[in-house]
Amino acid sequence: MNEMKTKAGGGNFEVRDYLRLDLMPHFMCPGCGHGIALRALLWAVHELGIDKDNLAIVSGIGCSGRVGAYIDANTYHVTHGRPLAFATGLKLARPDLKVIVITGDGDCLAIGGNHLIHACRRNLDITCLMLNNEVYGMTGGQVSPTTAENRLTTTTPSGNSEPAFDACKLAEAAGAGLVGREVTMQTPALRNLIKAGLEFDGFSFLEVMSDCTEIYGRKNDLGESAEMIMAQKSDMRPQAYTTITDQPFRPNRLVTGVLAQSDRPEYGATYRRQAAALRGETA
Amino acid sequence: MSIETANAEPSTAAVAKGRTRNVLIVGVGGQGVIMISKVLALLCQTQGLQVKQSEVHGMAKRGGVVFSHVRYGEEVWSPTIPMGEADVLIAMEWAEGVRWLPFLRPDTGVFIADTQQVIPPFACRNRDFYANPAYATETPAEIIDMVSDGFALDAGRMAEELGNARAANTILLGTMSAAMDFPLEEWLSVLNQFVPKGTEEINRQAFLLGREWVEKTRLEPKEATTVRALEQQPVQPKINVRLEITREWCKSCDICVKLCPERCLDLDEQQIVRLKDPAACTGCRICEWLCPDFAIAVHHENSTATEVSA
Repeated sequence: MNEMKTKAGGGNFEVRDYLRLDLMPHFMCPGCGHGIALRALLWAVHELGIDKDNLAIVSGIGCSGRVGAYIDANTYHVTHGRPLAFATGLKLARPDLKVIVITGDGDCLAIGGNHLIHACRRNLDITCLMLNNEVYGMTGGQVSPTTAENRLTTTTPSGNSEPAFDACKLAEAAGAGLVGREVTMQTPALRNLIKAGLEFDGFSFLEVMSDCTEIYGRKNDLGESAEMIMAQKSDMRPQAYTTITDQPFRPNRLVTGVLAQSDRPEYGATYRRQAAALRGETA
Repeated sequence: MSIETANAEPSTAAVAKGRTRNVLIVGVGGQGVIMISKVLALLCQTQGLQVKQSEVHGMAKRGGVVFSHVRYGEEVWSPTIPMGEADVLIAMEWAEGVRWLPFLRPDTGVFIADTQQVIPPFACRNRDFYANPAYATETPAEIIDMVSDGFALDAGRMAEELGNARAANTILLGTMSAAMDFPLEEWLSVLNQFVPKGTEEINRQAFLLGREWVEKTRLEPKEATTVRALEQQPVQPKINVRLEITREWCKSCDICVKLCPERCLDLDEQQIVRLKDPAACTGCRICEWLCPDFAIAVHHENSTATEVSA
């Protein structure tokens, strides 16, 4: 409990200080993991002492896109799949802002897949929080790029025949500076991961395993929210453990924690240096 | 075998001719119980005595109990020490020492204990914040009054001050060495063979420190040198837990009810969460963290603040 008493933001973390209370309660279904992820994000912001006026949240379309709307900060609700493109422009124009992208699995990997790989490639200082609930929840439960094989959705009534994306491997291969994954059940660990992402100078891609109880869980008989988030927790494998002993025995586990980190140059600094040189200024 | 008489009559022959001597060394995993029992066993062998040693260290890596029986003499038959027949009981951990006391010879046994505490998770059954663990409540002074010859020292802190907290076992070995009449050089040369590479010097210092400590204790009253008393545990503030439930925000998703470790929440007639059993709530905040709708807030208030508001 000590870490909750001493923090940069000052005072205990009260989630209400960071919410738009007039919009509450939020529109998400009962038991949706997005709310837990939102708390972890706000907690990380609080602990780092980031001023709400210097915080810009960019979110796309979908359930995850609505998460950003409840944050009492500069929020930006943009077209489907394009939050990373908008955030790139925002960060280049206003490097003083802390830019966080909240996006979903479909928004980020399908509609905005191209933007994701190029955002990773540029390595601009943005924190991208991908809330992965394995389904297009808002539009009625269609199959998404991260839906596991053989799962039932409204568009795969006899089971999904396509293999699922490993978004973290994609981001790592595309060049993201920091890649991490965490489950919502581990809220303090998720907060720590988001803090690491926010403190990292470069593009950080964080995959949050969320749960869609109402549409995905019910169709696939995965139980209620508590069972779904517990199942994720029992599936997860902290990164630190995977290298020690049991990888040969449990190869398909959900690996969590910071999965990859590189020290590639941050794009914004490079860009500003080049711009200054063109203007004839010396850096 | 008492420390007072050991140096007065330095004759190995007395030990060799007499009955089998029993040394019981106890502690928890990682403290070096086995290491010092090996030192003792080899030393006795080099002195031409027969030695039998047996140990249990199965759960040691998880902080479990480790004990080692060392028996030496002219001819040793059984490898284990019967209850009430240990001449020396060396405890690396305070509660372990108290637990093994029945093995000590009631009339002449020497009890040497480190007062450092390694509190096992099982002792923390009360899950309230800052709750006192169910740990041995006997103070060193009480125990030393009970045994015929007792020494309680804070070897953990002494070793820490020396530069390596893990040398606490060597300090206790040095303390024990004062109770036996083997020459100092022999002790040090055998010790050198068993300590990890690079720690020879610190272990030598630790050994001598333990030996000197006994000398000093003999001159001064015991209470003065018993460094860390158990009653010096820091008093933790009592935390009052208050659950603030926003009824309008609760969506009855049941996560908090199912995942509360104390099972103290349930849903009321309107399917809104409520605190069923306030006494069971420890304020662990899991419901607060896992509520997707921000309907639960856990407040920790210390008792003085509540009194002021009430």
